[in-house]
Amino acid sequence: MAKAKNKKKKLAEHISNKKKLQKTKSLNPFEIHINKQKMKVLGQKLKHDRGLPGVSRAKAINKRKGTLLQEFKLMNKSNKFLDKRIGEKNSGFTEDDRAMARYAAVRIKAHKKASIFNLANDEVLTHKGQTLNEIEKFDDPKSDDDDDSLNEGNTGKLESDFVGDAHFGGGVLTNTGSEGFKSHKDLINQLIAESKKRKAEKQKNKEQTLELTEKLDEEWKDLIPLVNRSVKTAEDRVQEVSEVDDYDKVMRELRFEARGQPTDRLKSEDEIAKEEKEKLEKLERERLSRMKGVFNDSIKTVPHRSADDLDDDFAYDSEPEVTLAYNEKGESNIVSDKSRQVDVEEVQDFNNVEEDNDESEDCDTASEDDLSDLKHESSSDDEGNDTNVVEVEGDEMEEEGNDEELNGISKNDIKTDLLQRKKVMEKARQELPYTFELPESYSDLQEVLKNRSPEYHSVILERMIKCNHPSLAESNKEKLGLLFVYLLQYIDDLNFDDDINSCFKTFACLLPHIFDLAQMNQANAQKSILEVVKEKQKDYRKNKRRYPGPSVLLFFKLISCVFPTSDFRHPVVTPSIVFIDQMLFKCKLNTRKDIAYGFFLVNLILEYTSLSKRYLPSAINFLAGLLHMAIPKNTVQRIRVLPPFKSTSNSLALYRKESTLKMSLKLEPTDLIETEITDDFKVRVLYNALKIISEFNYNFKEFASNREIFALIVKYLELIPIDHYNDNMQEEMKNLLSSLKATTEKKLFYLMAEVKRPKALRLYEPNIQKVYDFKKHKVLSKEKAERAKLLHKIKMEKKGALREIRRDNSFLGRVKIKERIQSDKQRQEKVKRIFAEANVQQSELNAMDRKNKRK
Amino acid sequence: MSNSEKPTKISKILRTKAQEFLSSHKYADNLVDIIKHFESGADLSACLLSLELIFTNLLKERHMFIQIIPLKPMEATPELQYKEWLRNIYTECFNKILNCCESAPAKIQVQAISTAMNLISFEAKYPLENKLNFKGYLPLGKLKAALMKILSIKHNTSHLTQKYEEYFVYDDVIFFTWKILPLLTAKSNPTELYIINYLQLMEKLPVKKNTQSKIVCCVDEESTKTNFHFDQIKVKRYLNKVWNCMMLWQHTPVTHKQLLIVLLEQVLPHLDKPLLMTDFLMDSLDVGGPISLLALQGMFTMIQVHNLEYPKIFAKLYSMFEPEIFHTKFKARLFYLSDLFLSSTHLPGSLVAAFAKRLARLALIAPSEDIIIICMFIGNLILRHSGLKCLLNHPTGASASADPYIMDESDPLKSNAINSSLWEIQTLQNHVLPSVATAARFINSPLPSVEWDFTKILDNTSDDIFDKEIKKNSKLIVLAFDRPNGLALNRGEKISLHWNI
Repeated sequence: MAKAKNKKKKLAEHISNKKKLQKTKSLNPFEIHINKQKMKVLGQKLKHDRGLPGVSRAKAINKRKGTLLQEFKLMNKSNKFLDKRIGEKNSGFTEDDRAMARYAAVRIKAHKKASIFNLANDEVLTHKGQTLNEIEKFDDPKSDDDDDSLNEGNTGKLESDFVGDAHFGGGVLTNTGSEGFKSHKDLINQLIAESKKRKAEKQKNKEQTLELTEKLDEEWKDLIPLVNRSVKTAEDRVQEVSEVDDYDKVMRELRFEARGQPTDRLKSEDEIAKEEKEKLEKLERERLSRMKGVFNDSIKTVPHRSADDLDDDFAYDSEPEVTLAYNEKGESNIVSDKSRQVDVEEVQDFNNVEEDNDESEDCDTASEDDLSDLKHESSSDDEGNDTNVVEVEGDEMEEEGNDEELNGISKNDIKTDLLQRKKVMEKARQELPYTFELPESYSDLQEVLKNRSPEYHSVILERMIKCNHPSLAESNKEKLGLLFVYLLQYIDDLNFDDDINSCFKTFACLLPHIFDLAQMNQANAQKSILEVVKEKQKDYRKNKRRYPGPSVLLFFKLISCVFPTSDFRHPVVTPSIVFIDQMLFKCKLNTRKDIAYGFFLVNLILEYTSLSKRYLPSAINFLAGLLHMAIPKNTVQRIRVLPPFKSTSNSLALYRKESTLKMSLKLEPTDLIETEITDDFKVRVLYNALKIISEFNYNFKEFASNREIFALIVKYLELIPIDHYNDNMQEEMKNLLSSLKATTEKKLFYLMAEVKRPKALRLYEPNIQKVYDFKKHKVLSKEKAERAKLLHKIKMEKKGALREIRRDNSFLGRVKIKERIQSDKQRQEKVKRIFAEANVQQSELNAMDRKNKRK
Repeated sequence: MSNSEKPTKISKILRTKAQEFLSSHKYADNLVDIIKHFESGADLSACLLSLELIFTNLLKERHMFIQIIPLKPMEATPELQYKEWLRNIYTECFNKILNCCESAPAKIQVQAISTAMNLISFEAKYPLENKLNFKGYLPLGKLKAALMKILSIKHNTSHLTQKYEEYFVYDDVIFFTWKILPLLTAKSNPTELYIINYLQLMEKLPVKKNTQSKIVCCVDEESTKTNFHFDQIKVKRYLNKVWNCMMLWQHTPVTHKQLLIVLLEQVLPHLDKPLLMTDFLMDSLDVGGPISLLALQGMFTMIQVHNLEYPKIFAKLYSMFEPEIFHTKFKARLFYLSDLFLSSTHLPGSLVAAFAKRLARLALIAPSEDIIIICMFIGNLILRHSGLKCLLNHPTGASASADPYIMDESDPLKSNAINSSLWEIQTLQNHVLPSVATAARFINSPLPSVEWDFTKILDNTSDDIFDKEIKKNSKLIVLAFDRPNGLALNRGEKISLHWNI
């Protein structure tokens, strides 16, 4: 072990020593040039304090010899040969060695990595330079292979006897002397000429046949129509001559008629219904998002994100799949429909918010079932899925709304009412003319609608809109917008003091058409209704203690039909709610019509918020005030109540037992104009107030502080003497009290701020400080600085390149001059030699001359 | 036509008559005619104007001036007699003019008082007699008579006070009014109307002299300084005298309130012994409503300026937050004051929590504009007192069966509010109005570092909210998509459930 280490160490030392030696060897002190420094700075490292000019020059020259010189040598030469034969340059190889090496190289090449596992075809077999695969394709149909086999005479090959003669000498018998002896060379020539001739002939034949077939084909094509025609001509002529048939005429006409473009097929009723449904669902979704307003944007909890989330919004289904499992008792964890229904009933019993009627038509429908189930779930696990609950509630309240509507109006009533209405409408339809012009001015509209019953109004408007539908003419849209404004004015001008019932009926008949008109020109509708609200509010401001006329109520009702009242903020609905709020807080309540008016407003608030379940203090305050009014008060005792109610007022209190049992407990439109407060009215107001309170209670059941909201109402409710009222009312009051108490008794969860997500530490830019280098740098913008830097670099590079070029030139100059000198030298030597030879010749000549002379 | 022209004609006639009278002694009868016309009660304003014209000119020309030289008996010259006659008529007329202030229509009353004041000012400038010792002289008797009309026992004289207020630009008018006031102050219980009139005057009457000293009784500018000296100490003495009398009167709620306003705005800084007011203020605190609110403000200045110690002040303030305050005119003042009171950061957390909680409760029944203020107020309280954060963020997050806060407890320290949570604000996030709902959302996010400034919106009304919502004219046009069937909506229909329509 130690030995090995030692060995290694030695090796390393040896190498380093060698390197050192090399270095020291090259470091000739005479070659070192030292740049003198004016000022010495301690610790400063200088790049250029010493240099080796000789060495570096030699290096540069060597480099040029490798590159520039080579190029120079090859200058003006278009190509060159490179001998890449293996072993050619190696003089140590013998001829055999070279052949061996070459063969080995070929074999190695064949066994390259790609073909190492290819066992089947090491070499590709070829025939006539073509691979066998290619030949087997039989591409050419005019291949002459079969011709070859059929008749040899036609092939380009030599005849057998000729071959026999030529190759085998033919024998003695055939060799007649008449032809004389031909030299072998002649024979061969003849043979070649013969075979060439035959080949040419064969080629010629082949081309000729091809040409002929083609020609034949073409001629045949020309003939075809003639052949067909010739059969039918006679009949055709007869038909043409015999006069043109009606049928044909029609047929031809039909043929040249513009054909209908292919379109999508007509949709079946199911599909239309489905589309309609989808559209409505989309609208509903939008409405819900608007209802939530800005609220949920900030509250929205960030869904769980795994560490591997790629920000591509891909997520597994958030709902965990529940695997079916059984507990000890043998019940499955997936609740079957039956057990669900049981749950629903439990929940309903527990809540007991709904009216008695609710119980009668227990939730049979599947959707209801699901919802209640979810409701149950949400109450059990509370915080788990907030967003989910909200959505579910949205759906739930629709259902609820529908249900209650159905409950409230008994179905039979509706039916008979509708039937009657239909009859009247039918009658109106028959009596009225079918077309109506759009009114040019408001007085025109009044003229048309004057002295007509509400049903007639409806029909007239329907026809008016139909005849002037915006799709019929461009200008109709604006005109219908005007009609909309006129209708608003018409509602405003309804004479409520005469017959308020018919006014309301007229309004009800107009309402669907107003809705249609609003849909046709939405911007106009919104603008004009907003103007109306503004105007009414302006009128109201003059006397804030008095309710404005009943027409305002109609407008509010219209708004609730035309606009989505559940929106968080709506340009028309929100101002009208502010208006209602003002009236409920400010207006005095002295007479029957005031009370009825206020009650209508509260009812409107209930309607506006029935989907969004929002809270308005003034509405609850008003209801509490109504209850307060129903408490009989003696002079000593004072029960506090909030303005605008007076603590002494007891105008709704019953002092004797209510006698008559009324059929309808609903409020009447006439209550809005009469002033005297009757016992009947007292009971009806109270009854409806109780109903509305219970509905509000249902709406607010999720609120944390609904106990405080309803505290006053509960207090007053307990003070109302129950025995003055009939059984129905007593029942109602008891129910309400118990349900109020039930909803207010619930757990309150302390407010908690949302847990803040830990914030990632901020990543700072590395703090790089510049070293002061005695140079003044201009303060430039980033781009300019970059540019300046680049320019500087270019300049330096340019200088460097110029220097290199200069050195190249000098190098080349040196090479040229060397060559020149060398060639001069050679020439001189040649001249010298020639002179020397000439001298020798001369001397020889001279010597001969002298010899001759001597002779 | 005759009706419309008649008064102008008569006024023209009266005017020419007056001018004729002034032109020469010959037309002395004209004066008698005018006075007779005046007494008849017709065309009062024209008569008043012409009388004013006559007498101001007479005073200017010194026609009624009688030189009194001491120790020299008067000589009964016809001129002197004429002067005497004029003076008699003048005093008579003055009284008659003032009598107009009682019965005539309001417009005439105002004119009468202005005529009277004009005459007084002219008399001050051109006195009827030469008084040697006192040059800056205002006819005190006449001024007193005028003031008596203003402090009427039978009528509400707010319009007269208003007219009279115009003369308070003159220092001497102020000074002499103060001088006369103690004489006119009733010692025993006066009528309510008198008190109201008195307080109205007191409310307007400045205690200090104006910055530009202008006086009525100067003919030229130079004499201003020499003639008259506004004695602040004397005025203070008069004021104290008057105030002591006023405190003895029996006050109805209306006058009580007015008295407090006058006390706070005018009198309190000038009283000799303001601490004597403490009892009065404390009694007022117990009355309730706006009176106690005003008393509270008084108490605040007493505590702040005069070092009064009154430990139960917060309990009083606390008891003032009743549901009824939203229907008073003073709610803005109450919010402002309570913000002042609770601005100290050294108050115990439980006390401030009680306030916050009570405000939150009130917000449940308050009008929309007030809910916004309350939300900001509560936010500010929590900002000032970090201990209150537990109202928004419970340390452990438990649940309670009912709100531990006791609303009926009168002592804020015992109300147990600090153990509660602001559920009311959470509920109010579901308010119908978007502006309110957003205001209540402050509890969802971390509180800002700077307090909300709600002084600007203290006087907002629901009309302002209405206008704001109208102006917020969003471009988005959204209509409902369910076609109503007759009057009934397809869903959420509530009206026809309760109305037989």
